[in-house]
Parts: sequence; C-alpha cells; structure tokens
Amino acid sequence: MANPVTQDHRQPAATGTAPVAHRRRFEIRSLGEVGALVVLVVVFGALNPSTFLSVGNLQKVLDQAATPLIVGVGATLVILMGCIDLSVEGVMGAAGMTFILTTLHLRGGVESPTDLGFLSFVLAVLVGAALGAVNGLIHTRLKVPSFIVTLGVWFVGLGIGIILFGTSAQPNLSDAAAQWPTRNLLGLPHSFWLAVVVAVLGVVVTRYTKLGRFAYAIGNNEDIARSNGIPVRRIKLYVFVLAGAFSGLAGILAILQLGQGTPSVGASGAAGSSTLFLTIAAVVIGGTSLAGGRGGILRTVLGVFLLTILNNGLLLAGVDPGYRSGVSGLVLILAIVAAAWPLRSRLRIVK
Amino acid sequence: MSKPLTRTPETSDAPALTLTGISKSFGPVTAVRNLSLQIPRNQVVGLIGENGAGKSTLLKILTGLHEPDSGTIEVSGRPVRFRRPQDAVAAGFGVVHQEQSLLTNLSVAENIAMNALGSQDAATRYGWYRWGRLNREAEQVLARVGARIDPRATVSELSFVDRQMVEIARALRVDERTHASPIVILDEPTSVLERNETAILEREIAQLKHIGSVIFVSHRLDEIMRICDRIVVMRTGELVADVAKDEVTEDDLFRLMIGHAATATRRPDAARGNTAAPVLSVSGLTRKGEYRDVSFDVRPGHCVTIVGTLGSGRESLCRALFGVEPFDAGTFELDGRTVRSWSAAEATRAGIAYVPAERRTEGMVGGLDAKENMTLARTGGKGFLLRRRAQAKLAGEWFETLDIRPRNPDLDLARFSGGNAQKVVMAKWLHLDGVKLMILDHPLRGLDPGAAETLNAQIRAARDRGAALILLADTLEEALDHGDEILVMRDGEVTARFDAGRDNPTSLDLLEKMV
Repeated sequence: MANPVTQDHRQPAATGTAPVAHRRRFEIRSLGEVGALVVLVVVFGALNPSTFLSVGNLQKVLDQAATPLIVGVGATLVILMGCIDLSVEGVMGAAGMTFILTTLHLRGGVESPTDLGFLSFVLAVLVGAALGAVNGLIHTRLKVPSFIVTLGVWFVGLGIGIILFGTSAQPNLSDAAAQWPTRNLLGLPHSFWLAVVVAVLGVVVTRYTKLGRFAYAIGNNEDIARSNGIPVRRIKLYVFVLAGAFSGLAGILAILQLGQGTPSVGASGAAGSSTLFLTIAAVVIGGTSLAGGRGGILRTVLGVFLLTILNNGLLLAGVDPGYRSGVSGLVLILAIVAAAWPLRSRLRIVK
Repeated sequence: MSKPLTRTPETSDAPALTLTGISKSFGPVTAVRNLSLQIPRNQVVGLIGENGAGKSTLLKILTGLHEPDSGTIEVSGRPVRFRRPQDAVAAGFGVVHQEQSLLTNLSVAENIAMNALGSQDAATRYGWYRWGRLNREAEQVLARVGARIDPRATVSELSFVDRQMVEIARALRVDERTHASPIVILDEPTSVLERNETAILEREIAQLKHIGSVIFVSHRLDEIMRICDRIVVMRTGELVADVAKDEVTEDDLFRLMIGHAATATRRPDAARGNTAAPVLSVSGLTRKGEYRDVSFDVRPGHCVTIVGTLGSGRESLCRALFGVEPFDAGTFELDGRTVRSWSAAEATRAGIAYVPAERRTEGMVGGLDAKENMTLARTGGKGFLLRRRAQAKLAGEWFETLDIRPRNPDLDLARFSGGNAQKVVMAKWLHLDGVKLMILDHPLRGLDPGAAETLNAQIRAARDRGAALILLADTLEEALDHGDEILVMRDGEVTARFDAGRDNPTSLDLLEKMV
C-alpha cells in the first residue's frame, strides 16, 4: 500500500505535514444498492409490465414501505451506536392498542365512549417513548446489553397490548380513519408522507445535531467517546427514547392501515412480514454496520425499498409466499456477506 | 501559511504548573510517591522513566482521570482540583494519548472540537451543530500547528502522522476557551511513527513552546535530548532527577532511569557469514498493492532485518510468512518444504513465531490472564487439556527473566501497563523451544530502555540457540545492530540489500535507499 502522504513528507520544503486533498469519498457501496434497486425495478417491470409499474401498485408499495421506514429511522440511530432495539413489535402493539382504545372506535358494533381525538395520537407516541426510556435506562444504568433489555421489553410491550385488548370483541376503526393512510396527497399516500417527515427528521438529526453525531461517535468507540467528554449514557437514553417514539408512531400507522386493533400489529405489517425482521434487515442491507459507527438514514431508506419492492415484485410474479419469505432471508444473508467483503482488508490494523 | 503565534506571557511569573507532594496508591501499590515538580512556561519538559515508574499515573492525575491521594496542583500559581477530565481541559491541559484517541468515523473538525462539544460551546447551539464555524475553527487551529489537513476529511482516511497532528491540534484547542497558555502533554507521540515522520513531529513540538508549555513523554532518549529544554526522570514512583538538557548526557539519563549503566549491545561477529542450509527461503513473493517479487534466505542463527517506511510493504510480507495474510504469487520454502498457502496454526506448528507490532490488538487475548496468554501458543502439553501446573511454572520463570511487573501471572493481561503486557506477549513466543524462525515486527516499540535491553538479550539468546530471525526494527541503529543481512524496501520493492559483515553499511546508506 503506497502511502502518498508519507512520500510527501520527504520533501524538505514541506513546512508542516503534507497537504491532504479534500477527500469526501463518494460512497460506492451505496451506489451498489441503488443499482440493485434499479435492477429489481427493471426485472419486475419486464415480468409484469401492466401490474408492477402501474400507479396503483406504486402507491401500494409506498404505503407498505411507510411503517418499516418509520421504525427503520429509529433502528438506524440505535444500531449506529452499536446497540440494537428488538422491542419494536412490542412497542408497536402497546402504542397501537393505546391509540385505538382512546380514539373513536367500534367494539362489537358498539361505539366506544372515549374519543380523545388528537390527544390519543400523542398518548400513543408517549407510550412508545416511555418503553424506549425503559430500554435506555435499563441498558445504561443497570449495564444490561441492549440485546437482552429490548428482547425483554418486546414481550413487556406485547403484554401491555394484550392487557389493553382485554376480553371484549376486536376494536375496529371507523372507515374514515382506516382510509387515511391510503388516501393520497399530491398523488402519494398519506402514510408515505408521514414516513418522509420522519426520515427527513432522522437525516437532520444524524447530520446536524449533537445527538446524531454523538451516536456515531459512541458507535465508533464508546470508551474514546466517553474520554472525549461525550455524555454517553444520556445520548444512549435519548436515542432509545426517540426510537421508542418512532416505534409508537409506527404502531399507530399500522393500526390505521389494518383498520382494527390487535397487540400483534407489528408481527404482520402491511408488507405481510415481521416489522422487526424487515427493519433490521433493511438497516443492514442499506449498509449500516451492526458494529456501529458507520452508515446512515438514507441507506436504511434504500434498504427498506429494496425489501419492499422485492416482496411486492415476487408477489405479483406469482411466487409462493413460502418462497418469498425464503428469498427475503437469502437476500439478507447475501447483503451481509457483500457488506463484510470489503472489510476483510480493513480488518488489517492501520499502523 | 502557518505563522508561529507568539503569546505574550501572563504578567504573573509563576510556573505554568507546580506539583507539590503528589502521592497516589492503588491498593497496596504506590504508583506515585510524594512527587514535587515545576513545569516552567514556554518550555518543553521531557518526562522519562521505565515502564511502571509511575509516568502514566502522573499523566492520569494531570488529565483528571485519577485524583491524587494527597498533594496540590497549581496552574499558573492558582490551586486547582481535577475531579473529571473536563476540569483538566478547563485548566488548559491538552493531552495527546499514547494510544490514539480520535473517533475515526467523524471528521477532523469534529474531533478537534470534541472536548468542547461535550459541554456548552459556541460551535453548537441547543444541540445543533454549526458546521461552518466548526470547520473554520478547526482550520485555524490546524494552521497554528502548521498542518495542512482538510477539517472536513474523515479521520480514518488520514495517514498516521496527520492523525497525530490532529491530536496535537485538538490538545491545543483548549486555550481558545480558557485564554490561559496551554499545557500540552504528549504521551509517546512518536512511538508508532517511522523515523522520517518523527522528524516532522519533533519540529512541530519545538514550535509548540511558543504558545505554551509541553510535557513530552518518550522512551527514545536521543529524541528527548533533541527536543527538550528540561528533563524529569522518574523511578519507582519517585522523582529522581529534574535537570536542564545541557547538564546531562544520554548515558546519564539511562543510568538515572535504570539505576545502572547500559551494557554494550554489539554482539560478536561469529554468527555472521553463516553457511548452513536456510531455514526459510523466499522467492518472488508478491502481493498486489503491497509488495512485489521479494526474495531472500534466512539461515539458523542468522538475522535478516527489513527496513522501510510506512507503506514499504514489509509488515504485510511478514504477515504473509506467518499465514495471517494471503499472497498472490511466488513461494517460500521452510526447511525445504514448499509453502504456497497456509494458516497461522500450520505456521506455528512448523516452528514459526510471530510478534506483531500491534500487540494490543493482534497479540493479546483479552479476558485471559497473563499466564494463559503466555502459554497460548503451546497450551502446556499435548492433547486437549491444559496443564495448569506446567503453565504456572513456566509463567513464573518468564516473569522473573523478563522482569515483568507486577509479578502476578494470574492477573488479567489487560491490567498490565503497555510495556509489561508487551513482555508477556513476547514471552509467549520466546519460551517455545521448537522455534526455528522468529518474525519480530517492532519488538521494542514502546519499551523503556531497561526493558528493551532485557528483551534484546532474550532475542540474542534465541539466536544463539539456532533460531533464525526476521526483524522489523524501530530504528535504523537497531536494524544495523541485529542484522546479518539488511533488506531495504520501498513501495513494495526491495531496493537494496546489505551484508552487514562485508558491506558495513551506515544508517545513511539505508536511508538513501528507503526514500
């Protein structure tokens, strides 16, 4: 490995260290993912030109991508710190049930007495944030690995959802509410616009706020981050709270999309597969490192679209659901192998 | 573009730093004992001492990582107390750690400002970054140290020297906030640099005294003599000397540190001109982008040293020989057996020992105690089970021979100081009787002269037993001292080879072919 910088030092005229050209390396790996997305669209477009490329299907894909996108933003932030949040589906269940039971709904044909209006929305997001806070507090204060904590909170969340559900009949939303996600604004579904807002928020946080930048720093090396004066515990807590709030929001959206309340709303989202699997896979396929420190929100957005389009395309091509699930799993493994491949040389220690 | 910035000294003529009666113990071990010291303004003060002399503890006290048990610290005549690292930063201390402490996935500007970002700072407002301001400020600090580095670059893309300059720039940034002259602590900043890079850094350090005071820790006495105005020597936690540079010689310093004089290191020429069959014969070894067409022989009791700068490909070559990195073309023969590819496990079984330069990351198994680490290469016996008793005996002997402190083989290796951990890793390979070939990548890096001497003796002993050696030396002098044959590599190619006995090369000859 020739090192141009070292060579430059040999010039006796150099007064300081060698000049380093402005190097904002263009991320070639994300280009690869864009390429994969284009290939998918072209292949499925060729297979089913009339159905796959129709406006209706495009809107459907965007609607299906909305929930994993919202969850994915939080998951990316958590994974950037080198942690993981498995509680997503539990939080969605608890927040989703909170939402539907406090808003206008029908139960066994009877209209519910409670309708908090917009407040029910806020309340559900707060439930998500609170569960996120539980994740963050147990992880940072009791020093329990996030994997374990969030695994536990996943089932705590599900439990809360089930208790809220109680023993009565399934609560149903009014038609007006249930149609909100798929109604269009400027030709795109509401659910997608909601996801766009969250994703933009995520990009801004990761690029322009201490919270986001410190999340990167923690993912790079927690000890160094701490010795640099970064309040590691606080940042971790905030990120988990944020991720919880996003999961809560996703829970509301999933309930709206479903039109009825169920604690297991996260387990079978609009895309038909587990939200947890879909988002973690999307984050990794996008190229965010599970070890933390590298990656970003936009990469996750790419990952979500790759998986959603893959699912949608295979469905339209008439592939059996069993095979679709298998293909999604294989794509995940391939993506991880591909992502780890260039790292082989980087594992060498820079001297 | 860098104007040396002269700072008018503050009106008070109190020393930059005054320590009085500082003591610090960890359990029964006293690391620093009743230490009093003054660091004058605008001077470079060298701090030297053996591994375990208490230097690191002292530095940790000055940077707010440890609170002393007793004693007082005064900065510019004002008493201070450091409870957290931030307190030290606020008092004007900037530190460049021995191990790099940059966040490699963030930009240069972020790293330079990081200490300040953690608390309230003008570069951020209500948690928002102000990138423009951050980059501008970083540019200014970098200009002051004369480094032309783009503040927007990601640290992982920088060369090692540039990273070191970023660390120094960051250490200097402290005075922006306090408006006091900074005290910059450099903890062995050159130990991982090659010679020509060191020269640049030395020049920069000399510049630093125009803007503040410098405490410079190094194991290279020649370097200390070149850079420092005063030299402070510590031994077993106490201050044994505080002298002006002109009053001492390198030999004096060595004696002060160790307590006895250096022994002659030149070994007899008997081993040179060896004609035994080669243990290792490398021919045409190539790895794309690293090295090309490298050939050489190593005979029993014979030492080949390879010199070259960063990027010469010599480290990669050594890793290939030990089987931890692949190669693209060429072969090598070990004891007449041709090897095209193999693993480190096979290499170990075939009698190759390898001491990597990055011992902290490559040579240690964290979580195991020193004894287990030491006997890892051969688990104390054949078969599946470890032989605990044999292990303990072996470890005990090596702790004695290499003077590893504290003498407790049951301690987790991560808890030993840098130099002592290194000795444990070295011992792991030295104790193998069947070693035919030792590959040593900077074996003395970061060791104090006393420890280096012990280790050098052990390396020589292994040679006398007939082991062949490949050595990547820290200094050209070390290369000349050990090498029977010296290979010079540049950008992956062998540019010269010298027979030590016949050609009698000088460091200048080597340097000429290196650059």
